[in-house]
Amino acid sequence: MSEKFEQGVQALRQQIDARISAYFSSCVHCGLCAEACLFYTETNNPRFTPIHKLEPMKKLWRREYTFWGKLAAAFGLGQSLTEDDFAEWETLVYDSCTLCGRCSMVCPVGNDITYMIRKQREGFSVAGYAPDGMKEATRRALKIGSPMGVTYKTLKAALAHVEKDTGMTIPVDKQGADYMTLFSSMEIVNFPEYIESIARIFDATGVSWTISSKAFEATNSGIQIGNKEAAAEIVNRVVIAAEKLGVKYVISPECGHAYTAIRWEGPNLIGRKYPFEVIHILELLDQLKKEGRLQLEYKDSIPMTLHDPCQIVRRGGVVKQPRDLLNSVAEHFTEMKDHGVMNWCCGGGGGVSANERAEPLRLQVFNRKKRQLDELGINTMVTACANCRITLEEGLEHNEMDAEVISLTELIADHLVKDESKV
Amino acid sequence: MGQFIDGPLWAFSLGVFVLGVIWRVVTILIAGNRSDLATAKGSAGKGAIRAVFSRFIPERTVTSRGRIQLIAGYLFHLGLLALLFFAKPHVDFIAERITGLSWSAMPHWAFIVSAEAAFIGLILLWLHRVLNPVTRLLSDLDDHVGSILVFLVMLTGCLALAQSFEPLRLIHLLLAELLLIYFPFSKLMHAFTFVMSRGYTGATMGRKGINA
Amino acid sequence: MARSITLQIDNRNKQHAGWLLLLLLCLFVQPFDTFAKASESRGIPSAVVLNPAAEIWRDVRQREQLTNGTSQVKGVDSGVLINAYGDQWRNFRMQQLIPIGGFLLIGVVIALALFYLFRGKVAIEGGESDKKLLRYTNYEQLIHWFIASIFLFLAISGLIILFGRPVLIPIIGKEVFSIIASACKEGHNLMGPLFLVALILIFIKFVRRNIYQKGDLSWLLRGGGIIGKKHVPSNFFNMGEKTMFWMLVLVGSVVIISGFVLIFPIFGQGREWMELAHVGHAIGAILMISVIIGHIYIGTIGMEGAIEGMKTGYCDLNWAKEHHDLWATKAEQQGEAISNDKVSQLREVSSAQPLGGHVQEE
Repeated sequence: MSEKFEQGVQALRQQIDARISAYFSSCVHCGLCAEACLFYTETNNPRFTPIHKLEPMKKLWRREYTFWGKLAAAFGLGQSLTEDDFAEWETLVYDSCTLCGRCSMVCPVGNDITYMIRKQREGFSVAGYAPDGMKEATRRALKIGSPMGVTYKTLKAALAHVEKDTGMTIPVDKQGADYMTLFSSMEIVNFPEYIESIARIFDATGVSWTISSKAFEATNSGIQIGNKEAAAEIVNRVVIAAEKLGVKYVISPECGHAYTAIRWEGPNLIGRKYPFEVIHILELLDQLKKEGRLQLEYKDSIPMTLHDPCQIVRRGGVVKQPRDLLNSVAEHFTEMKDHGVMNWCCGGGGGVSANERAEPLRLQVFNRKKRQLDELGINTMVTACANCRITLEEGLEHNEMDAEVISLTELIADHLVKDESKV
Repeated sequence: MGQFIDGPLWAFSLGVFVLGVIWRVVTILIAGNRSDLATAKGSAGKGAIRAVFSRFIPERTVTSRGRIQLIAGYLFHLGLLALLFFAKPHVDFIAERITGLSWSAMPHWAFIVSAEAAFIGLILLWLHRVLNPVTRLLSDLDDHVGSILVFLVMLTGCLALAQSFEPLRLIHLLLAELLLIYFPFSKLMHAFTFVMSRGYTGATMGRKGINA
Repeated sequence: MARSITLQIDNRNKQHAGWLLLLLLCLFVQPFDTFAKASESRGIPSAVVLNPAAEIWRDVRQREQLTNGTSQVKGVDSGVLINAYGDQWRNFRMQQLIPIGGFLLIGVVIALALFYLFRGKVAIEGGESDKKLLRYTNYEQLIHWFIASIFLFLAISGLIILFGRPVLIPIIGKEVFSIIASACKEGHNLMGPLFLVALILIFIKFVRRNIYQKGDLSWLLRGGGIIGKKHVPSNFFNMGEKTMFWMLVLVGSVVIISGFVLIFPIFGQGREWMELAHVGHAIGAILMISVIIGHIYIGTIGMEGAIEGMKTGYCDLNWAKEHHDLWATKAEQQGEAISNDKVSQLREVSSAQPLGGHVQEE
């Protein structure tokens, strides 16, 4: 038994709190979570049942927290958690769960299974049983500052590009700005239009904002791999930068897990409250629109639908804002059959998109999204998460579907009322 | 033997049940949760209370893909609850032996309907457990022991319906006592802990401003 | 007293009987007419009775007819002092139903045992293949075992009630039997209505596949392949299975309806209706049990691979081709055959790894 494994078990043990004890005590093995999980519905493989993915943690809980487990242990009977369990469950815990939280919504006894899987990953990552892709991403995030290896230099180049295109100056490290904006690597690398869009929106609405050269990365690989030290370190960088600049708000970008990380898990990871508020870009846009500062013109007539990013909507609570925003720029916005907090995941969240070996499975479970789109017959999907966006685009391409994925923020930017005075 | 079942064993099993349940709930509570430092968008308390009740209403995923469990689950649980608290012999027994309080029992036809519902539900749920690949993979000994014990208690209760043979009543009582003793150490605890589970989840979701 | 049972039935017919029940009764009882006559003719001729009390009772009983008197008590049968048919029903139950029914059931078991000795377990000739076909969905398996468990419970408790006196009392004594009988009666009554629910579920799910179609008759004419070694092609269900299905539905309905008449005295039925219902109930049940014994025989020791579909949902491709050729061939052509490995994965019977990565034995 290796030392690392022991540490992993210890890390897992530390996760078992009242919530997890209550959850395991309540689970009657009804199997309904499987019906909510796209990894099960698209493969019919019972191993993908959400609660089954928690077998290692349950084994530990049963052994150390229950009457029968303790009794068996006292007589040297029963099973204790082994390294083989970690090895065998690694793919179930990382490749076949996007932490989308759908199972947590259907559980009749109300177990938050997603929360448990997130916690179980803590033990797995410490024991060293995590996918190489995610280990690498976390390592890069800690060393370079971004899971995709994006440095400030890269961002600077992207910003220069935006400045050239728009003729605006993008405020960097501006002391005393109201808002500090974060980006996800994915946005900087794949969707620089997002940067341009928020620059134009903030310019038009007169928002006082800035970008920190020290902490601009919002993606938190530590959350995805399930390593609280790494996650705390990544959050801490943002908090220190924001405190230094003295901003009132930190804006979480469209990226889903970034929002969960900085908004909901962040203060708990670093163990203190923030001296600023965290707001999601969609919340801010909605607020600006309600205040009348964000003026939009004309509506698109092409039929559109909305793909709810799990971490922003189901796990983040930003449910109404994207709908109000989309309705203000789209004439024909139709919801998918399962939408809002019950939407189906793109299949790439929770670090799955950073996990190469999971790709065949990810493309297989994309069938769920494909069916949703086919049912609706709409070819324009609006979303608000760079990771969803890239996963959806890959899925569409794989299935040779003629559909388009656009960012809600970018769509809003396209509908800004042209300021006559500046033309 | 009869006196033993009726007297000491009854007191013992009731004691194990009550103390066991309290012990289980307390051990969960003292494991504790860290307080959430993130600024809340909504109320945790309201979220918890809402979730405790809102989870009785199934999501569409459950009504479409989990219809069997849904229907059988409701038939069983409602039937059993009705039988447990409103069957005439039970009302009398509870009044006489436990609380001293009496309430009106349900009419005979309602008793029949409840029993039929509970049996349909339990048999279907257990068969589903052993036949469905998902539940078969998940199920362990505890699930089967719990199901079978409840089934036997229900069955012997119905076999004793004529209420004219003491041995039949004693068999039913004995099995019920075994069930009470087994209860705190098993999955049957979900009858109490489901409130905690829903509450914890509802509170977290409530803070985030989500109806869960 | 020397009166044939057929005549008694005719009498009833004029007064009360439902046609369906009557038909059943006639079918069952007719061949034993002579047997009944012979046993009754040994009784004492009525003319020789000297006991004056007998005359009084005969008057009270109003002989062969049922006469309604008047009574302050309002209720079904409250005007009847003595039910003239009660004794005949009792005689039928004791002297015909129990012995004949009992011998029939034992006969079925013996016949199957002989068949097994003669034919042995019907093997899959080609051996098990490496492919399977989905035969029953999870829901279909579920309702099958649902009706099966209820049927077994009802059959066993019913047989105890019917045959308890001649079979069980000599073994366990009256004291113990009285307890068991009471338990069986309560359990039988309570579980009975569940059989209705189960039968409805079964009917809805399986009726389409049980409609007779082309090829069924030739299957029957060739003895279903039991006689001789050649396999006879059949559809998803063969003629025998279809016939069993319809027997279950029709006889089952008789048993259910008569059962309801017996346990719920709220339809205004009197004792004669109940007696008749009991006769229909018992005959129907014995018929069903006999057929189901055969059904269980095939599923367990009679045929290799037959129970797989109901146990796992999947059946072996070779088995399907040998026993349900028309269905199997079509399903295979449509590419529905699944490899054994895939089936194990779907059913999670092996510890096959779900994806890449390292996996050890469970």
